Order: sequence, then C-alpha cells, then structure tokens
Amino acid sequence: MSSLEFRDVGVTFGFGPGALRAVDGVNLQVPDGTVVGLVGESGSGKSTLARAAVGLAPLTTGSITVDGTPIPRRGTRPVQMIFQDPVAALDPRMTIGASLGEALAVAGVRGRRDRGRQIGRLLEQVHLDPELAVRPPAALSGGQRQRVALARALAAEPKVMIADEITSALDVSVQGAVLNLIRELRRDLGLSMLFISHNLAVVRYVSDLIAVMYLGRIVEIAPTEQLINDPQHPYTRLLLSTAPRLGATLSAGRLPDGVRDVEPADPHDPPTGCSFHPRCPVGPAVDPGRTDCVTDDPFLSIDERPHRAACLYAGRHSLRKDPA
Amino acid sequence: MSAANDHVDASVDSTAKDAAPSSGKPVSGRRSRLAMLFATPVGIAAITADLLVILLAVFGPIIWGTRAETNDFDNLDSGPISGHPFGTDKLGRDILARVLVAARLSIGLALSATLIGIVVGVLIGTMANLAGRRLSRVFSTFIGIAVAFPGLLLALFFAVIFGAGPTGAVLALGAAMAPGFARLTQTLSASVVGRDFVSAAKVLGVSRLRVLTRHVVPNIAEPLIVNATLAAGSCLLAFAGLSFLGLGVQLPSYDWGRMLAEGLNAIYTNPMAALGPALAIVLSGLAFNLTGELGAQLAGRRTTRGRRRQRGAADGSDDQRAPGAGGLPAAADTPSSDAVLVVRNLRVSVRTDGGTIEPVRGVDLTVRAGEAVGIVGESGSGKSLTALSIAGLTHEPLEVTADELWFDELDLRSAIGRRGRAQLGTSLSLVFQDPMSSLNPTMRVGDQLAEVATEHQHLSWKNARERAVSRLRDVRIAAPGRRARQLPHEWSGGMRQRAMIGMGLMGEPKLLIADEPTTALDVTVQQQVLELLESTKQQSGAALLLISHDLSVVSSVCDRVVVMYAGRIVEELPTADLEHARHPYTKALLRAVPSMDTPREEPLATIAGRPPDPASLPVGCPFAPRCPRADDRCRVEPALLPVAGRRALGLAACHHPHLDPVSESGVSIVDISKVGAPGIGETR
Amino acid sequence: MATVETTIAGASRRQSLLANEWVRFAVRRLGILVLSMWLLVTFAFGMIHLIPGDPVRAALGFNADPALVAARRAELGLDQGLLTQYWTYLGQLLHGDLGTSLQSRLPVSQVISDRLPNTLALAGITFVVTLLIAVPLGVGMAILTQHGRRRGTELGYTSGAMVLSAIPEFLLAVVLVYLFAVKFQLLPIAGRAGFSSFILPVAAMTLGSAAAISRIVRVEMLSVLGQDFVRTAAAKRLRPHRIYLRHALPNAMTATLTLSGLLLSSLVAATVLVENIFAWPGLGPTMVSSILSKDFPMVRAIVLVYGGLVLLINLVVDIVLAIVDPRSAIRKA
Repeated sequence: MSSLEFRDVGVTFGFGPGALRAVDGVNLQVPDGTVVGLVGESGSGKSTLARAAVGLAPLTTGSITVDGTPIPRRGTRPVQMIFQDPVAALDPRMTIGASLGEALAVAGVRGRRDRGRQIGRLLEQVHLDPELAVRPPAALSGGQRQRVALARALAAEPKVMIADEITSALDVSVQGAVLNLIRELRRDLGLSMLFISHNLAVVRYVSDLIAVMYLGRIVEIAPTEQLINDPQHPYTRLLLSTAPRLGATLSAGRLPDGVRDVEPADPHDPPTGCSFHPRCPVGPAVDPGRTDCVTDDPFLSIDERPHRAACLYAGRHSLRKDPA
Repeated sequence: MSAANDHVDASVDSTAKDAAPSSGKPVSGRRSRLAMLFATPVGIAAITADLLVILLAVFGPIIWGTRAETNDFDNLDSGPISGHPFGTDKLGRDILARVLVAARLSIGLALSATLIGIVVGVLIGTMANLAGRRLSRVFSTFIGIAVAFPGLLLALFFAVIFGAGPTGAVLALGAAMAPGFARLTQTLSASVVGRDFVSAAKVLGVSRLRVLTRHVVPNIAEPLIVNATLAAGSCLLAFAGLSFLGLGVQLPSYDWGRMLAEGLNAIYTNPMAALGPALAIVLSGLAFNLTGELGAQLAGRRTTRGRRRQRGAADGSDDQRAPGAGGLPAAADTPSSDAVLVVRNLRVSVRTDGGTIEPVRGVDLTVRAGEAVGIVGESGSGKSLTALSIAGLTHEPLEVTADELWFDELDLRSAIGRRGRAQLGTSLSLVFQDPMSSLNPTMRVGDQLAEVATEHQHLSWKNARERAVSRLRDVRIAAPGRRARQLPHEWSGGMRQRAMIGMGLMGEPKLLIADEPTTALDVTVQQQVLELLESTKQQSGAALLLISHDLSVVSSVCDRVVVMYAGRIVEELPTADLEHARHPYTKALLRAVPSMDTPREEPLATIAGRPPDPASLPVGCPFAPRCPRADDRCRVEPALLPVAGRRALGLAACHHPHLDPVSESGVSIVDISKVGAPGIGETR
Repeated sequence: MATVETTIAGASRRQSLLANEWVRFAVRRLGILVLSMWLLVTFAFGMIHLIPGDPVRAALGFNADPALVAARRAELGLDQGLLTQYWTYLGQLLHGDLGTSLQSRLPVSQVISDRLPNTLALAGITFVVTLLIAVPLGVGMAILTQHGRRRGTELGYTSGAMVLSAIPEFLLAVVLVYLFAVKFQLLPIAGRAGFSSFILPVAAMTLGSAAAISRIVRVEMLSVLGQDFVRTAAAKRLRPHRIYLRHALPNAMTATLTLSGLLLSSLVAATVLVENIFAWPGLGPTMVSSILSKDFPMVRAIVLVYGGLVLLINLVVDIVLAIVDPRSAIRKA
C-alpha cells in the first residue's frame, strides 16, 4: 500500500457563467496505511474529488498521484472505489462470481480454476459465504452487495481504496458490520483509504485523519482526536454540534439568531472572501466587526494555522468564545 | 404512416429502474419472464399468432401459389361464392388465396424495413454514446431533429429517388424508424453507462469493448427487443399504407396494401376484396403489437412488484394477538382524556399472489396532547405504514383494520363526514421524507398553504394567502411574501420541509406526524428542521409523532421512544432510558450505530443476519434468528406487549430482556415474562 | 439584518441566472429550428440530384424527344452548376416562388394554396376531436382504476384501446366507408361538401389516435397520482375533485402536450392516406400523383410544406411546454 496525493486539484463542470467549480484547489494526502476521512455536506464536492481520483471526473487543474506517479486515465487504476448505492454497484445480469471474475481477469489472473479459487478467497475475506458466487446480485442484501463491491475492488489489488458514502444507503443494523470490515481490512492489509461520508460519527469511527470539505475546498484537516476535541474552523464546529449524539438535546447545537436559518450557499455562486461567512456563527453575520471575512481569502496563509484551517480567526481566542 | 417512432419510448421509463432489487429468490430473471409470458392466456394467444403469421409467410406461397394465379373466367369480379370465400378479382383469381400468398411479401418487406431501422438506429445510438463528449452532443442534436420529422417525409424522399417501388418503401420505412431506435439506444445505454457498476468496471480497467458487450448490451437488450416487436407491427401497417397509395409494391407483385387498394375500387360489388386484406393486415399487426405490449408490461410489472416487496414486511403468520399475552389480561380501556391519538391493534395487510402479507401486525399507541413520541425502526419494520394508516392515507391494495383508532374524539375507522374532514385537515398535519417531491411542482408554495384555509376554514383566497405568508414567516422563511409566490423548485430542501411544517400550522394543529422529515437533508439543515419541529410543538401545543430510522434524531426531540420490528412494537421506553433498553434489538441497534461517543478502539456491535424476509416470518419472535439471547421458546412463541393503555413503560416484547440495575427515569424494572398481574402504573 | 440582505442578494442573483437560462433556452431552440429548416430545405433541393441517372429522362421516358428533354432540363435549371442551382433555389424560396408544376403547368404555390387549407381543416378538426375525447377519457380511466381498482374495467379498456390503436387509419377508413357509405348509405363516400363529409374521414383518423393517446394520458395521470405531492394534497383533506383537477392534472399536462405535438405531426401524415381514400381535395392526392408522375417541383414543394408544418408544430409545443413547465425547458437548455 502507498500514499495518494492530491495537489492543487480542481474540477469544473460546464463553462461560462453556468460553470460549477465542484472542486477548487484541493491539497490532500492519504499517507501509507492510514484512513483519511472526508466529511462535508451535499454539494461540497467530496464525491467529485473521489471520482477524480479514479479518473471518472476530468481534472481541470492540478494532479493526483500515487507514490508520485499520476493516475492513468485508462486501464487498471491503482486506486479503486466503492460506491454509495448497493443496488447499482453490481451488474444485475452477472452473478457475483462473474463480477469478481471480471475484475480478476483484468488483474491478470488467468485460468478458470485459479480464478475460482481467488473468488472464494475474496468472498471469505469480506466474510461472505463462497457459495454466494453463483447467485445474482438480486439475491443479496444491501450490506452483502457492498461487501461484494469491496471484494471486487480488492481483486484489483489497489494501492489505495476510496469509499464513497458506502454505508449511507444501508439499514442501520448492517452498517456496523461493513464499518467493522473496513477497519479489519485496514489492520490486516494495511489499506490506505479515503473514506467519504456526510456522517461525522461514522468518519470519526474509521479514520485516522479527518478532512473537512466545504464548497469544493478543504477547510480543515487534522488527526481525528485533535479535530474532534479542538476544532479550528467554525464549520467543523457546526458539523460537530449537529453530529448524531445519543441523548443530546437540540439546544446544545443551537446557533445564534443571525445564522440559524441561513440557507446553504449555492455552489454555482459561492460567497466572496471566506465562502462560509454568511453561515458562520462567529462571522460577520453575528459579529459585524469581522468584515475581513467578506473580503479576505482565508486560504492565503493556511499553512501557518493550526489544522491548516481556512479561517482568518483560527487559533485565535475569539473563535473559542461561545456566543450561546 | 408516421412509422414506428411513437411506441419506441414507451418502455424507457420502466426499464430504467430495472435494477431494483426483485425477489430474493435466485432465479435467472430472463427465464422466469419468458415463463410468465407463456403463462397468461393472452401471452399464449400472442405467441401462437406470431408463429402462425411467420408460418404463413414461409409456406403460404408454396401451398396456395398456383391457386392464386389461376384465373376462373366464369367468375370474374365476383362476390363470395362457394369455392371463392372472399370472391375473385377482375381476372377471376381467388382473393383468399391471394391474401394468404401475399403474406410473404407483406411481412417480409415489413421485417426487412424493421431490420434496417434497428441496425442503423442501434449503430447510431451506440456511436452517439461512445463518441467523445462534443461529438455525442452533435449526434444527439441530429437524432433529436430526425425524430421530429414524420416518416412520411422520408417515404416521399425515397419514393422520389428510387421511384415508387418496394426498394424505396423499405428504405424509407427503415430510415424513418432509425432515429427512434437511435434515441432509444442512446437513452437506455446512457442510463446503464451512468450506473455505478459500469464506473467500477472502468476503474478496474475493463476494456471499452468489454464494457459494451458484457455490461451495456445485456442490460438494454430486453427493452430493445420489446420495442423492435412493436416497431415490426407498426411497420407492417405503414408498409401496407404505402402500397395502398401505390408507392410500395408494384404490379404484377402484390401485397396486402396493394390488394386493399384494388379491392377498394370494387367495394360496391365485392366488399370482401377490400375487407379480406384489411383483416390480414390488422390481425398480423395485432399479433406483433400484442407480443410487444406484453413484454413491456411484464418488464414494468416486475419492477413494481420489487418495489412493493421492499416496502412491505411480514407475512400473515397465524399468531393472533392473544389477549393478555405474557400474562397480562387486556383491559378494555377508554382513551384517557388528554390523548389526541389512540391506536389499538392496528393492522395493515396486503393481499398478494402468494397470500396475505401483514406489514403491520397489531400496533398499540397513545399520544397525549403536547407530547413528542418517536417511532424507530429499520426499513420494512412497518413504521411508515403505521403513520400513513393512522393518517388514513393508505389505499388499495393495503387494508387497514384497528380495534380502536381515535384522533381527537374522531373515530377514524369509519368514514368521516364533511365536518370530520375539515377537522382532520386543520388539526392533523403531516411532513414527509422527500421534500423534493412532497410539494406540487406546478403550484405556488404560498397557494399550497393557503389552500388549507380556503378549503376548511372558508377564508377568501386573499386572506388565506396572507395567513400563508405569516405562517411561512413563523417557520422562519426569509422574505416570505416574495417566497410565497415562487414555485417549489426555487426552494431548497430545508425550506420545503419548513413549508410543510408551515402548512400544518394553517389550522390549529393537535398532532404533527413527521415521517423521516430530515433523512433527505444535510446534517446542518437537519438540525434546523428538528429545532423548528420542536419549537412548533411548543408554541402550538400540538403533539408530535416523529418517525425515523435514526435513534439519535428521535432521542433529541422526543419524550418517548417506540421501537418497531417486523410490524410490531417491541419496546416502548422514555428517551432518557434508552441506554437501559431491555429488548435485545433496541440494545443492539444502539451499539451498532456509531455515535460521537463510540469508543474507536472496539469493533462495533453487529446484528447478525438481515431484517426478516417479509414473505416468511418465523413463527416465534421475528428477531430470534438474529438474537444472541434467543432460545427454543423464542423460536416458537413470540413475546408480545400488553395493550398500550395498560402498558408500563419500560416493557420489552422479549422473553429474555436485558435487566439493568438502574433506570434513570425511575421506572421500575419489570421482566415481562415474570409479570403475572396487571396494574403496573404508568410513570412519567 | 446582514443575513436578510445577503439572502435577498443571493436570491436576486439567482433571478438573473433564471433569466439567463431563458435566454439560453431561446438560443438553443432557435438554433435547432434554423438547423432543421436548413436541413429540410437542403434535402428538398438534393432529392432530385440523388436520383440515379437523368431525372428528366426518368420522368419523360427513354423515347422522349431530345428537344423536350433539353427544354425540361433548362426549365428545372438542371443545366446549370449545382451551386448556382442551390443559390437560385434559395432565392426563389425566399420570394415564395416554388416553381411550376410539370403536370398541370400551374404555379406550384397556387396549387398549394388551393389545397393546403382543406388538409389543415381536416387535420385541425381531427386534432381537436381527438384531444377532446382522449384527455378526459384517459384522466377518467386513471381515476377509476388507480391503486389497481376495477381490474375488469381496466382490462377491458386497455385491450379495447390497444386493438383500436393498432388499426391503421386507412383500414378504419375502408371499414367506415363500407359500413356508412356503401351498406347503409348514410354519409357521403368522398369529396368535401359540407359538414357531413367531414364525419367519416375525421372518425377514421380520430378513433385510433384517441385510443392511443388516452392510454398514455392514463398512464401519465396514474404516475402523477402516485407521487408524494398528491399524498400531501390528500393529507390536507382536500375534496377529491380538487386533488384531481388542481394538483394532478396540471402535472400530467407536460406529457399530454408533448403527445399532442406528436399527434399533430402524425396527423399531417395520416391525412395523406385518408384524403386518398375519401378523394379529399387536400394535398395528399396531389402528393401521390406528383410522385407517380415525377412532378419534381410539386414534390419538392410538398416536402417543404409538410416539413415546415412539422417544424412549426414542434416549435409551438416546445414554447408552450416551456411556459407550462419551466423546469423541463431549463433542464433541456
């Protein structure tokens, strides 16, 4: 296993005034053998970033490399991906065995018997009965299909794995098993992984590092415990306060009036300065003195701030002041 | 004449959803569908007709060829007589024989035109998808333009170039059909190419050609074949039309269209000369159409069935709710005075081909004024159906029964009159899961709110609109006056959910039922909506029934949590006591879902197996197959909760509940299996 | 305060974006129209040149007088260079000059203006009658048979409609002629003379298309009735007729409109056959006879007229659609 590196990655869809900068100048590294969690709301560009890493979305700027080598646009990618929807993940007209066999064939496993043995091994690796190989996907539950998708990705012996919202379409009672499997594979195979989810609790559970994405950019990144215990960006704090926590009352996460009902920004037309400023609980909408948030680019001196937080006030005392 | 384009798109929609999980049985889809086609009487008829038509085309000229050319000079231009059931033509040739012989040319030409249309269309459609992004846009623009022109123009075009004759006609009809098939191929394959399994194959490095042959073609073949059959049918008719006009088959050859034209001239002397070939055209056209229609319908039916399956749960296992199960006798209780909702033994059943399925199997529930109750369960647990049937929004084939179903002193089991309708419309409101689809896309948001007041409170539209704006302000929509005049697509998901809540505030809400109101929303917006639900509840005094799969959502808003599994309530407890849940399912659910406090070092608790197969529920406790505490008793005899009015909170429908020593709310710990007497007081 | 301002600013920006989307829709639609027009005009021009061999000889026969052939060639402009011919053709087209019919020696534009109104009258009346039958029938059947109710009615209706829509209009015309004109002699067999002469041709074209369209309207209505917002309307306890007419129907209109466009274009084609059967003084019989007699200027003009009609219908449908359902138009653009 090895490291995946995004350098100044930008993905733009369309052109002219209607263009959408889905990903904008992202720098991110998934170090060898670690799981990097990527959180953000819908429209933050996290899935586009993932698709770019496997060559499904074209880069407008920057580069994505694995161990310094750019990702090829054709042929077997060193990065494999598991998708959100367990129903669409597998070809309904192919048995489980055929789906895995196809992946193995591309990976260079020749001969029927060899392939059969490998299929069995892969299924066992994801804790599925090898007998399932003769079944069509329709006979499997959502959780089982996600595990087959994982096995198929493993068949290509990837250097890095990307998991895009792989548990969000699953029933709650089977999510846990898939998450356990991810952790187990990481431990046993030393898997490097980019784990994407909108659910901070899930990301926290599986990741070593967490990156927070907002409107196409990474606004904070830090080791999991640090990010959870000492968030630097107000958006991270907002996510933390709204994360599922049993028994937590709503008032704990209540925001000041100025930003409580602000709509998420339009990604086609991001706000100036810090793109989070209209929603920021410590920003200009609440503290009228902070006009620099509207005008200044918070990414300019990002390396000097704790957690590479894209907030002009990160690390300063005033951020920690709780308005409630 | 307008060729076959009209039918071509019909089945795109049904096939796009093809991948919906169908039945759990590992039967190869294709074979079972063919079997289904054969099984229906219509299907048998259609296939027999197809075979007959093809046999006729092959053997007709061989058998009747001479007879069709023999002149009976005694009977020129005669009507039906013995020996000539359809009469004869000008030259005394038998019309019936000629109709039978003409089958080969009629069908052969129609099929060749269809073949040309399909081959050209599929090639163009595939090319449009395989080409680069720019080129494929050009392709689809041209396909769009070509589809818009009727086949007539092409027929004209080819008739001029090749002169009136079969060559021009076949090419014309083929060319007329091609754009439709190109578009069909393009849409179908685009929908397949967009699916994740194709992306996965690309990422794996599977070659383009293999993706096409192995993934795309098999997944679009079926709708293409269905449409090809339909197209063959309309092509047959169109070709007959061209020949009829004299633009198709030329003398001395003859097909049905040609014969029809000749027969029409003699319609006064021998109507059968025209009606005979007409009949042949209609019957063979119908044979093709019928087959195609059946195929399309079967494809459609399969997906709806799959969807219904997913929704449903539970079969009609014969365990009737024993009164006093678990040793507690059910008391005939009257609804307590402050209850806004009283539900006793609510059952929802659906009759299917394979017997009756019961997705909700005896739910008891009481919601008091101003209370917030949450129903938690996985998909298929029956929680949403419970909510819908309480609100009276289920419809056939679902059948709802209940011993009692009271809302605000209104008996919902019987038909409600005009006044009852107004009462329900103003005091019971609902918020659904998908904010994108629960508002009418063609009606201004403000009017959708105002409608409640004009319908039930006799307000004028002007006053009702004013009230709608003020309610939108109440649910914290900025610039509500302007917003009210917008259509829903200009609103974000969170705003739409707030509009739904505002809609409930138009009257005097007593109960707000929210079915997964935040599932489709981002976490930050989710928080806003939950807060709004809570403040709405507090300000209006309405009770809240919140349905969710997410325990943390329910626990943040509700006072009381009801856990459902396989159509029944398995546990009901105060929110504060969640950590001390007694039912192994609740317990497992709590541990299986990571929260911000879950220890990262330990593996998550898992629940073995999967939620029960709706078609075959176990006799005993439905959770028993997945339960670590289950024993032989659980497998034969389900533990049931006593009727709600007499139910103590903190009971679990389990023979072996977890018994924690401490309970935060002070509810006494009871093991249902050991309780022998009624009268456990309700706390809280 | 700041929040309100930013929201409004955001909204107005979205407003200008919407205007932008409309502009894009108009540009795109206009582009398609121009492109289609050009294709149509060029195809109509190219038709004669694609005929294998000499078109004039093909028309006049191989024994024709060479002088006549030369004169005819000159008349059609075939003796000039292709590009010159194309420019002359475009120029004449702009002035409404469609040439002279080789058969009748009348100006083509005069023949068209004599006959086109009859075709339009037939197609127009059929269109209105078809929609008047099909839409209420489809909507009514959808309401009656929703949620799988009244299986028998549904089966009877769908199979009846299927059979009717599978019978082509010219066959129906033959049967109708046989029954009402020949057997019972109730209605005129052919020609255009007053109201009664419309009945048979209109009926022949209406029955099948009304059956087909009502089926699709029903399916569309059923799918709308199954959508969440109809459940919302039911949760508001609105009266059923309001749910059906105010909530469901407008949403089923998009598909109905698209269909009407298709119907109208296919009716233009259907008239050709039906006019021939009923000897209707429209463009249909002219078209057939001019093809058979290789009257090239006439055929070319008819191609242009039919094609232009279809393009016009599509344009109208798209504009109406954009007004009724802005989302679909924007999505397309």
